[in-house]
Amino acid sequence: MSYLIVVPLLPLLAALFVWVTGPRLRDRGARLGVLPVVAAFAGAVVTLVLVSSQGPISVRLYEPGAAANLALPIGFYFDRLSAVMMTLIALVGTIIYLYSTGYMYQDRGYHRYLGLIAFTTFVLLCMVSSANLMMLFVFWQILSWLLFLLAHNHTHTATLEGAYKTFTLLRVGDAAFLAGIVLAHTLYGTIEFQELFVRAAATPVILSPLPGLEISGATAVTLLIFVGAMSKSAQFPIHIWLPSSLYAPTPVHALLHAGIINAGGFLLNRLAPLYGLSSTTLHVVFVVGMLTAVLGASMMLVQNDIKKTLGFSTIGQMGYMIMECGLGAFALAVFHLIAHGLFKATVFLNCGNVIHQVRQEPASPHARHAVEEHELPRLTWATGFLTTLLLPLVILLVTHGVLRIPLLESQGTVIFLFFIWITSSQAILTLTRLRAVASWKVSVAMLLTLLFVVFTYLFAAEAFTHFLYPDPREVAFYFQAAALPGRLFDGLVIGTTLLTVLGWVYLYAQAHGRTMPIPAWVQALRVRLYMLLMNRLYIDGLHARLGQWIMRAAHSLDKRSSGRLW
Amino acid sequence: MAEWMVLWLPAAISVAGAVSGFAIRSRPTALKIWVLLVSLASLSALAALAGHPMRPALQWPLAALLPIAAFLSLLGQPPHEDNRAAWIMTLLLLGVGLGAMVGHGGMGLTLLALLLILLVALLYRYRALSVSHLWQGIGMYGVGVICLATALATVPPVSAVAVLAVCAMLLPLAPLHAGYVAALAGLPGNLPAFLSLLLPVLGFHGLLAVLPHLPDTVRDVLPVLGLAGASYGALKALAQSRVRALLAYANLSFFSILWWHVAVVQAASPQTTLYLSAVGLATNGLLLAWYAIRARYGDMDLRAIRGLAHVMPRFAVLFMLLALAAMGLPPFGVFAGFMGLLLAPALPLSGGLFVVVVAWLAASWYLLDLLQRLLFGRHRTDLRYEDLHRTEFAALLALVLILLVMGVAPTRVFESGGHALPAHVATGDILWNR
Repeated sequence: MSYLIVVPLLPLLAALFVWVTGPRLRDRGARLGVLPVVAAFAGAVVTLVLVSSQGPISVRLYEPGAAANLALPIGFYFDRLSAVMMTLIALVGTIIYLYSTGYMYQDRGYHRYLGLIAFTTFVLLCMVSSANLMMLFVFWQILSWLLFLLAHNHTHTATLEGAYKTFTLLRVGDAAFLAGIVLAHTLYGTIEFQELFVRAAATPVILSPLPGLEISGATAVTLLIFVGAMSKSAQFPIHIWLPSSLYAPTPVHALLHAGIINAGGFLLNRLAPLYGLSSTTLHVVFVVGMLTAVLGASMMLVQNDIKKTLGFSTIGQMGYMIMECGLGAFALAVFHLIAHGLFKATVFLNCGNVIHQVRQEPASPHARHAVEEHELPRLTWATGFLTTLLLPLVILLVTHGVLRIPLLESQGTVIFLFFIWITSSQAILTLTRLRAVASWKVSVAMLLTLLFVVFTYLFAAEAFTHFLYPDPREVAFYFQAAALPGRLFDGLVIGTTLLTVLGWVYLYAQAHGRTMPIPAWVQALRVRLYMLLMNRLYIDGLHARLGQWIMRAAHSLDKRSSGRLW
Repeated sequence: MAEWMVLWLPAAISVAGAVSGFAIRSRPTALKIWVLLVSLASLSALAALAGHPMRPALQWPLAALLPIAAFLSLLGQPPHEDNRAAWIMTLLLLGVGLGAMVGHGGMGLTLLALLLILLVALLYRYRALSVSHLWQGIGMYGVGVICLATALATVPPVSAVAVLAVCAMLLPLAPLHAGYVAALAGLPGNLPAFLSLLLPVLGFHGLLAVLPHLPDTVRDVLPVLGLAGASYGALKALAQSRVRALLAYANLSFFSILWWHVAVVQAASPQTTLYLSAVGLATNGLLLAWYAIRARYGDMDLRAIRGLAHVMPRFAVLFMLLALAAMGLPPFGVFAGFMGLLLAPALPLSGGLFVVVVAWLAASWYLLDLLQRLLFGRHRTDLRYEDLHRTEFAALLALVLILLVMGVAPTRVFESGGHALPAHVATGDILWNR
């Protein structure tokens, strides 16, 4: 099975081919370069089939138990997780490469750019199929650098500033990841994934970094590595690099939002057995994910630029994905990242077309002022409201009666079902805004959406969980580790339910032109919140201030020491 | 051939080559070919020592890198009369340096003192070109000569401390780094590039010899100085707008990490050698690349030139790869060596690790800034641009390839045998799975 290592290497072949033959073969060379990328996709599918039927395949070019015979341990590990990720990455990489051959055709750095796309695909494939933490970290860092290069137009000042910010922030995550690896190797004496999980579970270690503060070894390692995941997946407060990178070519965004940014979710899944050992880390992951989801979605609402809007939407979605990991639903996070990746790649590629179209047609966008219905049809609203409220009851009946799941004993299942309800509500809320459509059609669409979402979550997600983590005890172990304190959990569920129902009531009132008695301080808070979100919580400014402060300290030190021996 | 002759041959070839070089100094092209041939001959003599039983005494892998660095730094030089003195001095310094590594006791220290005197003379000779660090550098190396004289006249632990001070001047450690900064920032031609590797190698060689003889108090202070130097070097590098000074302080930061590691672990593993060599070679490459710019436009401030990626693409690609290697990104040797240091079995968990990781992180900041200013943005239209010549390109490409090989090659390549290391200096290999 060692021939499988060719699969991640194929895009590298494409990159080298395009870089070497680009100037001579011109467009033909670029188009031929897609063949190895397509072959990598085919290889990824074959790998997926193989590992699904025969189990994980490991190919190591070093001997883990011997004194390090290579400066860096190079090895590949293909299991269901890596094969799924490889298939997604190779598919998205192929589509983006093909799209770019047309989109970037007249660009001066056409071949360099296409080579970089293929090279990034290679790096991503190697990263997800790494056999150990060190190799994963090697490709993780190369990815940080590629994000700097993919900004592409380095003569444009704003692009350059964004690329600089991206790299420096990603390096903060890399540094924390590095510290995590060093700590893991020091505490458990290995960087091999399976061995690390076994040793960490078998030998609990307590560290005391500060007097009076004790922390378990697994918690320290996972927290440090989580900072690495936070940076790549744009989690609050290290998310600011993502909106800053908006000047990169549109296909790069598609690759970034569909592939690169999922690295954090993949990392948490790869190390799930280690994260399962630390409830503290999982709770931190949950909080960070929740904050990012809420803030990302809120900031998205106040953006006035299509790319920035999509950028903050991705931040919100990544927060959602990380939150799922924090709740122990690791497989659900992978399911989410695949769905989001495919969706966002499509949106970005289409967004590129729209921008081109608008530039070519001066009359675009057409200023059509369609007659807006101020009245939300009662039937539409009633259908949405009832289905939203009835849904939890239906789910409860189905899970209790058909699936025989003891709901009250399993927070994980409640979370799973809660996601179904929230997602369906969101979809229905969106549909009720389609006011131009006849009300019966909207109602039918609502019901179909409802069925689709329920079906997808209940069956597809469940099947996917079983596929990625075939042992139900493992899944239960993660949910158990991520379990929140009972009252907090109940409070969160009730709070979110109330918010969703209130959303419906507010929507109804607004749609019927009724004013709601909102206190003045809430109105004032709303304005302030709007300003705050509009300015992206001033985090960019804080980041700039920090940079200026460090540079001032450096210059002051330089000035003071210039006349002295040292 | 007698054993001592075999050991001294590479040094003797270099010194003899330097002396003979004076005879043809009026013909720059012939002189360039001559110095290249001599450095190759010196390398061949060292290569013959690869399987020799006395190989560990010479710290073979480190010693072998010196003629390679000399050859590559000379290769890209244009045959111009202004460069002649630097070429001959390169051979002379190579010979004296190799001699200092081979020589034991008094002979080694004497040759080290000779090397410092040569550096003082060079700094004084080129004071017109030099920077504000000149007099500090001269003073520091002067103190170094006095330290070596003291070491010759005394016994341990005084002599050990005196030699340690000199090691801290060569393998830069704050507050004794001024000579190193002056040499890199002030000397002409290829000398800064060559010295960026030669001086640290000599300092490291000396450090390993004196480490077991140091008093405990001094040993306790060394990790603190290492950490302070790593932070100080990084902060100073951030504030520099001159490339050579920036690289000198970057090296101070990186080599201080090495000091910290050796002082904490009391060991010299192949990873230590790998780290030292890779940092030295990456700086060597960056200084050579910067020399290509200096040769065309003079020693400019970083703010005066930009956008070279579009007008000098070959230069841009190689400079970028060297900068990536220098900032410790994979798959280059600096990263492999750095990971080797941090994953050493004997390294205890301490707050020092945090400082070291931050210093490593800071390198991404100041080296990216250097890279970005030089290569990106809009290029100036009032300058004529000429990409790298073949020899310049070959030298830089060879350095990139060496750094790449270092990053993936078996670390056993960097083992010197270990027998020559004093009893207190243990070696430790990484096991990916202990």
